[in-house]
Amino acid sequence: MSERIEGVKKLFTSKSTRVETNRGESYYADLFEKCQARLKELRENGPINRLDFSEVLSENGVDRRDFMKWVSATTAMLMLPPMFSPLVAEAAELMNRAPVIWLELQDCAGNSEALLRSDGPKIDEIVLDIISLEFHETLQAASGFQAEKQLDDAIETFKGKYLLFVEGSIPMGMNGQFGTIGAGAETFYDHLMRVSKDAAAVIAVGSCATFGGVPAASPNPTGAVGVMDVVKGKPIINIPACPANPANMVGVVLHYVLTGQVPELDSLLRPKFAFGYRIHDNCERRAHFDAGEYVEEWGDEGAKNNFCLYKMGCKGPMTFNNCSIVRYNEAVNWPIGVGRGCIGCSEPDFWDKYAYERPMADAKIKAPTGGVEKSVDEFGLGLLTAAGIGIGIHAVASAVAGKKEDGGEA
Amino acid sequence: MSSEYKQVKRMTSTSRIIHWANAISMIVAIITGLYIGHPYYETLIADGAVDKYVMAWNRWGHFIVAIIFDVTSVVIAYLYFFSRFEKAYKKVIPTTKNIAEFFEVVLNLFTLNRRKKFDSTHMDSFNAVYFLIFHLLLAWMLFTGLQLYVGGLESGISSIGAWWPWLLHVATDWTIPVTGGTIMDVRIAHHYSMWFIVIWVVFHIYYQVWRTIFWKEGDIAIVIGGSKFVKEK
Ligand code: HEM
Ligand code: SF4
Ligand code: SF4
Repeated sequence: MSERIEGVKKLFTSKSTRVETNRGESYYADLFEKCQARLKELRENGPINRLDFSEVLSENGVDRRDFMKWVSATTAMLMLPPMFSPLVAEAAELMNRAPVIWLELQDCAGNSEALLRSDGPKIDEIVLDIISLEFHETLQAASGFQAEKQLDDAIETFKGKYLLFVEGSIPMGMNGQFGTIGAGAETFYDHLMRVSKDAAAVIAVGSCATFGGVPAASPNPTGAVGVMDVVKGKPIINIPACPANPANMVGVVLHYVLTGQVPELDSLLRPKFAFGYRIHDNCERRAHFDAGEYVEEWGDEGAKNNFCLYKMGCKGPMTFNNCSIVRYNEAVNWPIGVGRGCIGCSEPDFWDKYAYERPMADAKIKAPTGGVEKSVDEFGLGLLTAAGIGIGIHAVASAVAGKKEDGGEA
Repeated sequence: MSSEYKQVKRMTSTSRIIHWANAISMIVAIITGLYIGHPYYETLIADGAVDKYVMAWNRWGHFIVAIIFDVTSVVIAYLYFFSRFEKAYKKVIPTTKNIAEFFEVVLNLFTLNRRKKFDSTHMDSFNAVYFLIFHLLLAWMLFTGLQLYVGGLESGISSIGAWWPWLLHVATDWTIPVTGGTIMDVRIAHHYSMWFIVIWVVFHIYYQVWRTIFWKEGDIAIVIGGSKFVKEK
């Protein structure tokens, strides 16, 4: 209950979910100057690692033209006018000035996988490659005390400057003993608190780090929570989805490198440039939704004709994310594009409340009374039957023993 | 016999119009709402493309009745306090007199009309409270429904101006944390509440018919002609 009251308070103190796509000329002129100054400063500071962006690009067979295409798309994604393109390109080149520490907590490493396993890295992944990854638990060679020393060094050297990426939820049950790390068996919670203390900002990637994700699904045996539930007093940016789209990770880091600021966030701390729109409103199957043309079962005539997946449980109407716009793997395709519904992976509690692969009206969910899981209609019809029986008894009793005011003719 | 009965006016024409507008809207809301939740009839794949807006029409119908509910709710809320005929709020505030009357009416129902110790010429406290429950349920449907609706107005603009989505956010965002934290919870609550309304309606109809049969004062006529007939004492 107190959680819900807290929630209401938070909503009324945060801005509405409106997405502001045009803030007027003077705003952008101002921002442009600020960004220029910031990039100049970064350039003078010198790189932290020796990776040269243009070299890495050409090594991966990306030519300048591809890169510039990517730049305009990314500028648009960040909702900046075209005049920012050269700055975005410059910021991408200067990504090796952004020190990043990446923690891996209770999760499947799917977000790291999403970055690494794409067939031939796309520009998004390359850009993320050249950020100065000072520490990444899953990827680094160091282990044990050596790894811990490396982490301490990174925190010390970049105190107050590094971006902290967190992947995975934080198990709070049993004093946090469900997850420990390192030679000293530090709990995930202590680990996160120690490393986040000196971070410039904390970026939670993936549904587990943002809202607890799959580990937090009912009955949540480990007491898993998201980063924003435990880290206080730091700028936090949530990039949910399972996995988070590399394009959105790049967007956030790029925005930070470019402006030195956190992008505008919604009430769930998700950047609006990525999570401002519903899947449903930019879905290529939307015309079939409005027409009432649905896939009724896998592989039927409707499926062959790319009909809407609503009746197969698509949750696009209640899910805010930009998969339908930026897609995955450099816009190759995305879940609904390949013919299966959205499971709402970027929303809180998605595993319990969205991912049941049938319309909500047909899903077995916990009834408000607790107990056995029922669909809303089963529950409603149950109540209606109970009411009907009550009324029936009253009607029969009235007919047999009721007193009509007039007496008389009845 | 007619000379023994006096006619008492119980509902103004405004209230009666609102009553039937609501009744029809409710049927439409339930039929279209259930379709939105689970499209229960299929459009034929062979249909031409021109007239295929089945879901869109259902949603349109659902929202049109929503607007009717919007408007009638505002009127009803106003009449609760400022009606020149009968100010309903006077019957729902828990004064000793109202509470006593409320339980007398309940007793009347459970003793199958063997005990009737209240004045049935005017609106009684039991019905006033029962109607209030309906108006609260309807308001709840409005808030949760409008929250589901505003999700599609991400741009912050609308054909009637930017104030509309802004107002919807201000007025309905609270339903998210109250129902459990996600938009899906709002939707689940919206669907559950439909059943509460259905149950409300079933009892409402039964009770008005029951009163008509057992009280013999022609209560059912109130909502059509505006008045009922009570025996002269
Ligand atoms: C008062 C009577 C109403 C009833 C009985 C009713 C019933 C329903 C039902 C059963 C659903 C399907 C939920 C599901 O299973 O997914 C629904 C959906 C919905 N209702 Fe209502 N509703 C009512 C009023 C309203 C109002 C006043 C609004 C305000 C605009 C509204 C807006 C919506 C919206 C937006 C949806 C989701 C449709 C979509 O996203 O396509 N409803 N309603
Ligand atoms: S497939 Fe999903 S997101 Fe696309 S139109 Fe249908 S319901 Fe909406
Ligand atoms: S389509 Fe839905 S479930 Fe799939 S990745 Fe996007 S938000 Fe997640």
